Amino acid sequence: MSATSRNLPIREIPLELSSGDSVFAVCFCFLFALAPHFVHLPPWVIAIVVIAIVWRVLQNLGKVPELPKWMLIPMVLAGGVGVFADYWTIVGRDAGLALLTVMTSFKFLESRNHRDMLILVFLCYFLVATHFLFSQSIPTAVLMLVTLIVITATLITLNQRDDEVPIIERLRESAKLVTLSIPLMLILFVLVPRVPGPLWGLQSEQRGGVTGLSDHMAPGQISNLIRSNEVAFRVDFEGEIPPQNRLYWRGPVMAMYTGYSWRQTPHRELRSLDLITEDTGIDYTVTMEPNGEHWLLALDVPTQRVSGSHLTRDFQLISRKEINDLFRYRVQSRLNYMIGTEESEDYLALTLQYPEKINPRTVALGKSLAQRYDSPRKIINAVLQMFGEQEFFYTLKPPALLGLNSVDQFLFDTRRGFCEHYAGAFALIMRAAGIPARIVTGYQGGEYNRVGNYLIVRQSDAHAWTEVWIENRGWVRVDPTAAVSPSRIEQGLDSALSDEIADFRIQNRNPIFGSLLYSWDNLQHSWNDWVLNYDQRKQQEFLKNLELGIETWSDMVFALVLLLVSVTALFWLVVWYRERPPAPEIYETLFGRLLKKLSKRGYKMQPSEDARAFVARLPQEEFPERAQIERIADLYNHIKYGRRGASTSALDNLRSMVRTLQL
Amino acid sequence: MPRPIRQHFERWFESRNPPSTDSILLHNRRLYILPTRFGYLFAMMLLFLFLAAINYQNSMAFVLTFMLTSLGIISLWQTHKNLLGITVRMQIPRPVFRGEDCEFQFELSHEHNARRFAIGIQYQDQPPVYARLEPQGSAILKLKLPTRRRGEFRPAGITLFTRYPTGLFHAWGWLRFDLPVLVYPHPGDDIRLQHSLVEQYDGQTSTSTIEGDDFAGLREHREGESLRHISWKAYAQGKGLLTKTFQGQARPSLWIDWDLLSQGSIEERLSFMAGLVLAAEREEQKYGLRLPGLVIEQDFGNAHKHNCLHALAIFRQPESRPEFDIERD
Repeated sequence: MSATSRNLPIREIPLELSSGDSVFAVCFCFLFALAPHFVHLPPWVIAIVVIAIVWRVLQNLGKVPELPKWMLIPMVLAGGVGVFADYWTIVGRDAGLALLTVMTSFKFLESRNHRDMLILVFLCYFLVATHFLFSQSIPTAVLMLVTLIVITATLITLNQRDDEVPIIERLRESAKLVTLSIPLMLILFVLVPRVPGPLWGLQSEQRGGVTGLSDHMAPGQISNLIRSNEVAFRVDFEGEIPPQNRLYWRGPVMAMYTGYSWRQTPHRELRSLDLITEDTGIDYTVTMEPNGEHWLLALDVPTQRVSGSHLTRDFQLISRKEINDLFRYRVQSRLNYMIGTEESEDYLALTLQYPEKINPRTVALGKSLAQRYDSPRKIINAVLQMFGEQEFFYTLKPPALLGLNSVDQFLFDTRRGFCEHYAGAFALIMRAAGIPARIVTGYQGGEYNRVGNYLIVRQSDAHAWTEVWIENRGWVRVDPTAAVSPSRIEQGLDSALSDEIADFRIQNRNPIFGSLLYSWDNLQHSWNDWVLNYDQRKQQEFLKNLELGIETWSDMVFALVLLLVSVTALFWLVVWYRERPPAPEIYETLFGRLLKKLSKRGYKMQPSEDARAFVARLPQEEFPERAQIERIADLYNHIKYGRRGASTSALDNLRSMVRTLQL
Repeated sequence: MPRPIRQHFERWFESRNPPSTDSILLHNRRLYILPTRFGYLFAMMLLFLFLAAINYQNSMAFVLTFMLTSLGIISLWQTHKNLLGITVRMQIPRPVFRGEDCEFQFELSHEHNARRFAIGIQYQDQPPVYARLEPQGSAILKLKLPTRRRGEFRPAGITLFTRYPTGLFHAWGWLRFDLPVLVYPHPGDDIRLQHSLVEQYDGQTSTSTIEGDDFAGLREHREGESLRHISWKAYAQGKGLLTKTFQGQARPSLWIDWDLLSQGSIEERLSFMAGLVLAAEREEQKYGLRLPGLVIEQDFGNAHKHNCLHALAIFRQPESRPEFDIERD
């Protein structure tokens, strides 16, 4: 081996057994990082985790033996089979998480040395990433930041090789590292060029999100949804927010009627824009919470396609992908419109169908109305009038509608219902009267957040209404609920049902608490907007608005490197300054100056000498001013070791003596 | 590596890491840093996370990836900083016989207002030893190195290193001290003074020696003389350490002579001679040493013993390269 090759590489450090302390730290760290997943994991996986950790801790305490290596192979195989048996796959989010958890637990059982412990810590870092597949909310982010500090503290413990350092100090050290990382992380987050994904095919998988609207409507379905105050989506309007009673958010449209429930027809793309309007259009941006479905909500009616989606002939926006992550889209709607004036005969026939034998009284009512009135408008008004003037009640807790003829039961007996009851009954009457009708589900209204100037639409705003088709007028929205309970449409659900439901609206709360809640919601909205939606488009838009001329990829990389280097250098300087060695005493500096002069003449003070002994060995012939040097050395000794120490006069004296000395 | 490049590199390395006889201050030019195996593993994990983040278009996965990347960058300079400004002094170790472990003692100190954790000293691929430095503090680290050859031992490849705080990077500086340890030849086992192998010298017997038949008097104790010959009675009377001397037929004094040993390789001969030195010292005889080109006059005592062993240690030492000890046995 030559000197060169010896001096280059890093030396391998021979395997070192992990210390007891670090085993405990890694066990705790793993449990801490995994804990939020306990709700997502099947019980048998949690059991394996607990058993493995307890075993490893007991093994560390010398209570149980180390498992022999050969036992691990069947265990690993069994773990893989178990996961497959549970999920019928070993990839994808849920099965992948279970597999990772099981294998990490087994890794604990075979971990012996420092290297194994480091690998386990890395797996914990990896585990943090998996949490974000389940939730990306602010609380999750904060929890994960804490988790990062715990994991990094564990890593520090492993590398400290010193069991005497208290835990709190390790945590502080770790928090320092993580805190220093945040500014660099922000730079990377903003400036690393984003690539549109996905890079490889994703398995279609129901990935959480709140269940919202459904693809069919039966009595009782929407009233269940109403009890949830989860946010369905938030809307930023580019202009004025339209009045509450115009805020119909169009979702699944249902034209097929089975006698009990309403269902969607297969989506067919709108070929030509069958729309007549004089409106200029309203532009707005919707940030939709994940719901695992395809439909995108838009104000009645959307007149524009959103990229990655299509507009169906019944004016629904249907996304090609399921909305499994927060989805943000800009869309345009017209509030005054005529659609479907040229609706196909086939479709109109479909929207007239109903089973003759079910709900005979309702059907009979429809048929009699058709005979009594000569125009559809009159029929519609008659039914709305009936709802408004007779004893119909709008309630979240209608009596159960059992039996086959549920609409009859509702219309003629109970007369208490929620929007889906009224919409369903109304549509059926229309069809029986020979007017094409369909159900539209979606949301109605929304709450204005004055802090952030946007609209919050919650699951509790879910609503169902009807559309009827009138010759030369096309599909017309008719909301029978408005006839029963006008306040539902004018002021929202809470005013209409104030004694039946919990009040989800912030505006009805105590004003101080209310503005806190508005601010919190606004924070979430900004988080969605700036963090979760920061994609290629947002990045370009943001950098353009900065007006720093950062436009191309290479600009971004250049700015990135420049910023990273300068921020790191700044940190380095600050830390260097804070940890700098204490400044030498003045007398040391002064005496050092003398020593430097003497060393130029070839006389160096040895570590074994004191000042006096050193000066004494200077030859008189070479140094005629030796007496002066001796006096300096004496004074130096005096100041340094003397009882009176460094008085100002002594220091001044020393300074002038060193200055006047000519060497 | 091609020869010119290697030579260039070696010159560069020499200029940056001159061997020191006093102390080594680890400043920027003397410090090196590279990722560890775990650093590379960490980088691979980051790449994987990054691809996953792109694939799922998951913003928080991006945040995590960038957070960990930043953690890596921060720990790069934290690891470097952990070693920066440490001064290392080495104590000249005591000479040992070949085959014995030689204990090197390093004193680490620094003036910075920061704690230094997990500072290790490692010799080649041996297990390292670690220390912690308090702010402006110091610590002593002992390293036991095996000796494989006689002669002057300048261990090469001792590094002061650290992987603190994250273990992703390995920062190190070379501790190249020009303070050779003497490694004496391994003394042959169980060697007695065989009179056929040493030249006897029958001098006058009038001198007083510590061995003999008739008590001759007391004289001042010399360092290296056996405690057995101290007159403890005189010591108890407060006369100081005195040695009893005897008159009589003194034992012959010896010459340990290279030329009398005709057999064996150089190393075997030197090893045997070292054994004889020890034997003579044990039997408290005066002895001298004759090597080709070198004569050490007859004497005895600790200093004399070490003189002789020194001469044996460096006798016909192979051309002393600064780092000659590296070849594996």
